[in-house]
Amino acid sequence: MDFTNIAFYIFAALTVGSAGVMVFHRNVVYSAVGLLFAFFGVAGIYVLLAADFIAIVQILIYVGGILILLLFGVMLSQKLTKVDVRTESMQLVPAVVVVGGVLAVLLLTISSTPWKLAGSLEYEPTTKAIGRLMMTEYLIPFEIASVLLLAALIGAAYIARKN
Amino acid sequence: MFGNLFKKKRYIFEDESTMVVDLDQSAGRYYEETMSKLEIESYQGDEMVVNMGPQHPSTHGVLRLELVLDGEVVKKVTPHIGYLHRNFEKHAESISYNEVVPYCDRIDYLASMNQDLAYVLAVEKLIGLNELPEKVEYARVITCELNRIASHLVAVGTFGLDVGAFTPFLWAFRDREKILDLLEWLSGARMLYNYIWVGGLARDLPEGWLQKVREFLDYFEPKMVEFNKLLTTNHIFIERTAEIGVMTPEVAVSYGCTGPVLRGSGVKWDLRKDEPFSYYDKFDFDVPVGEGKFGPVGSVLDRYLVRIDEMAESVKIIRQALDGIEPFTAQDVQAAIPKRLRPAAGAEAYVRSETPRGELGFLIRSDGSDVPFRVKSRSPCFSNICMIDDISRGGMIADLVLIIGSLDIVLGCIDR
Amino acid sequence: MPVLNANLTLQAAQFANLPETLQTILFMVLGAAIFAGAAAVLALVGVYLERKISAHMQDRVGPMEVNTEIPVLKNIGHGWAQTLADALKLLIKEDIVPAEADKKLHLMAPFIVFAATLAGFSVLPFGPGLVASDLNVGLFYIIAISSFVVIGIILAGWSSNNKWSLLGAMRSAAQIVSFEIPASLALLVVIMAVGSLNLGDIVAAQAGGIHKWLIWWYPPFNILAFFVFFVASLAELNRAPFDMPEAESEIVAGFHTEYSGMKWAMFFLAEYANMFLVGVIIATLFLGGWTSPFGDFLNSGPFPVFWVTLKAFIVIFVQIWLRWTLPRVRVDQLMYTSWKVLTPFAFVAMVGAGIWMML
Repeated sequence: MDFTNIAFYIFAALTVGSAGVMVFHRNVVYSAVGLLFAFFGVAGIYVLLAADFIAIVQILIYVGGILILLLFGVMLSQKLTKVDVRTESMQLVPAVVVVGGVLAVLLLTISSTPWKLAGSLEYEPTTKAIGRLMMTEYLIPFEIASVLLLAALIGAAYIARKN
Repeated sequence: MFGNLFKKKRYIFEDESTMVVDLDQSAGRYYEETMSKLEIESYQGDEMVVNMGPQHPSTHGVLRLELVLDGEVVKKVTPHIGYLHRNFEKHAESISYNEVVPYCDRIDYLASMNQDLAYVLAVEKLIGLNELPEKVEYARVITCELNRIASHLVAVGTFGLDVGAFTPFLWAFRDREKILDLLEWLSGARMLYNYIWVGGLARDLPEGWLQKVREFLDYFEPKMVEFNKLLTTNHIFIERTAEIGVMTPEVAVSYGCTGPVLRGSGVKWDLRKDEPFSYYDKFDFDVPVGEGKFGPVGSVLDRYLVRIDEMAESVKIIRQALDGIEPFTAQDVQAAIPKRLRPAAGAEAYVRSETPRGELGFLIRSDGSDVPFRVKSRSPCFSNICMIDDISRGGMIADLVLIIGSLDIVLGCIDR
Repeated sequence: MPVLNANLTLQAAQFANLPETLQTILFMVLGAAIFAGAAAVLALVGVYLERKISAHMQDRVGPMEVNTEIPVLKNIGHGWAQTLADALKLLIKEDIVPAEADKKLHLMAPFIVFAATLAGFSVLPFGPGLVASDLNVGLFYIIAISSFVVIGIILAGWSSNNKWSLLGAMRSAAQIVSFEIPASLALLVVIMAVGSLNLGDIVAAQAGGIHKWLIWWYPPFNILAFFVFFVASLAELNRAPFDMPEAESEIVAGFHTEYSGMKWAMFFLAEYANMFLVGVIIATLFLGGWTSPFGDFLNSGPFPVFWVTLKAFIVIFVQIWLRWTLPRVRVDQLMYTSWKVLTPFAFVAMVGAGIWMML
């Protein structure tokens, strides 16, 4: 077993384990910490797949942006100063239905996808290629996404201003 | 017989309606209802109640403030005092007139000379002692003004600390150290001097002391220029202070604020000018008031600037007093001290004087013995802290800290 | 894995008979230990410098007493061992955790902060080839990894169950997220100029003396970017005049109010290690990194390490100088600085430099 494999299993275990913590822990802040390590594990797997740029973006956007905003939101909620911030809603029947449906779709996808092994990877800069693709082949999705984000930003500012 | 008394209770509400409750029957229910109303009123939405002090680094002593915060915005401030209460007034009723002086030192321990002077003036008025040797009067003015500079240095230095600038604080304390050395040479103590006595001074001025005071003034003036360059004229400092904690002259007067706090609001009221005591009518000096150079009059910055300017005025006064004392250096400072201090029964005297923090008044009543019947002190800090809720609502915690700093409270003076 | 550099690989020869996987792991551990040790030592030096510089600015002398009996070191004097003594004291100090605190997160927070800081060190170039991990996206990596510090600070503030801590944590999160934008925009100017995210390439582009440094490129846009990045980095470091998260006169000690002993020391060391990190980044991006300011003169052997350390410490000196001179700004003024001053200027620098490049 070579180093890449060991690293992969470590990252995979980290991802799955902390995802479990995130889902099953009753305390919202612990869920956020679980999410943190899940993101970290996924970033590690990206590195092993020679996708260094994607790995860094994963951490920058999800940890540096979304997770911080999430924790910020938790702290701005009403039970601000109490340590036991807990999730309270338990909707068993709808949850089982929805999760069952999602699981079925996922299993179907997993079984029907022809998985390719990465083989020997070349660790070369991907940033330039990604940038070029974004500005040529995927220019329209890129621009649409930016317009969407701009709309979201203006909407958020509008809602915040109203209060 | 008294059972019923304790079972009924009268509640008075804010709209002055009253309600008598039979505690036997409805105590629990009524209490719960009242408390639930209170709860709803005071903790709406995201508000958070925070206890600031008595161990908070910038409450300038053991002051406790109960804050209602919305995020960082201050909604309500309730000061709680009494952590430094030492029973000065009751103590004074059991010791002789002269023995009260060291207790006065401890009222406002940053300006002990000024406290002593206020008390001593009241006793002198009580016994009708009006003529004192010129040397005593000049020495009193010099020591009091030195102590005023020392006290203001603490005020502006710690104010710098409140804004987050550490260096001005140490510079101020470095210069204050020199004043403390001078006063220590004079009295043997660094803060609690017990130097000004009824009718005279505890000790004669040491040889060469006046020359050292002159040297200190020559050293001090350029240092203040340096201090102002570092802190007073700093852009961030002015941005932080110029528009917060604004106290209109009406508010200041109606709360009984005095000293730099009142003058910061633009009211030109200084007892050294308006009701001169000791030799203050002999000197030429200005009374700096808040001008609102960078924002509304009565802001935190104005109160700070008044203290800075007052230090320069104090230097002016000391220079004149040093010249004035020259012909009288041979006088005996203890010549006029009364051998026996026993004012007439029923005699009463009230004297107020200008301390660095404002108007300190002493009301003394005698019953004919050598122990005062009653000593009441009117503390400037107590009046100054009262209006903190009025001027800090709507600001941020950072502003509240500056407002406390600009009021320059000494908890010993508030609690006594 | 090409994570290890040539210099370390040279020393690897004696381990050649070990299995390859074990070798890789050993080198990673070794490299991490070297950089962690170096970071801790540099942080201690930073603490000592801060004490001495602040003392001399305030008409004091600072620590003068702590010394040793070892002959040569004895003559240094000037209390050089004070920081070491403090570190020892902090190691044996009682660790107090508030009764109502969330114990696990309270323990985890300082480790996250310290680990994230050390992780940033792994891509810093200290000389030709002298870098623990020569990542192609090194610059991007530093920005990303520093967001872990924010998470650590938020967790520290929340888990202490103290309202002042929480206020400090919220200030910190808002501040760092806001200042990341001008900082990243300023970095974009450098990335555009060099055309690479690799810190080694960025240094190589500036080789040949002081006039080739990136700060002089496309005047005045790169100088503008330099100032924007410097101010934004002060805010991201929680240094004065932007030390809101730990403003001692307002919110006691902010997020580390309830920390003591070694856990507090980890926050403290992380802060100074971060200062050094930012110093090296600024030196690398704008001031020529490890290259000599005199072209080829003194540009070999141990000198690259000397130059980059010197430049970093000059940046640290300016940080310390500002801290002991300026008062603290208020939260809303901080946000104003970020959104209405630094961000527009960063855009100006970016667009200006871009147009210059096209011409």
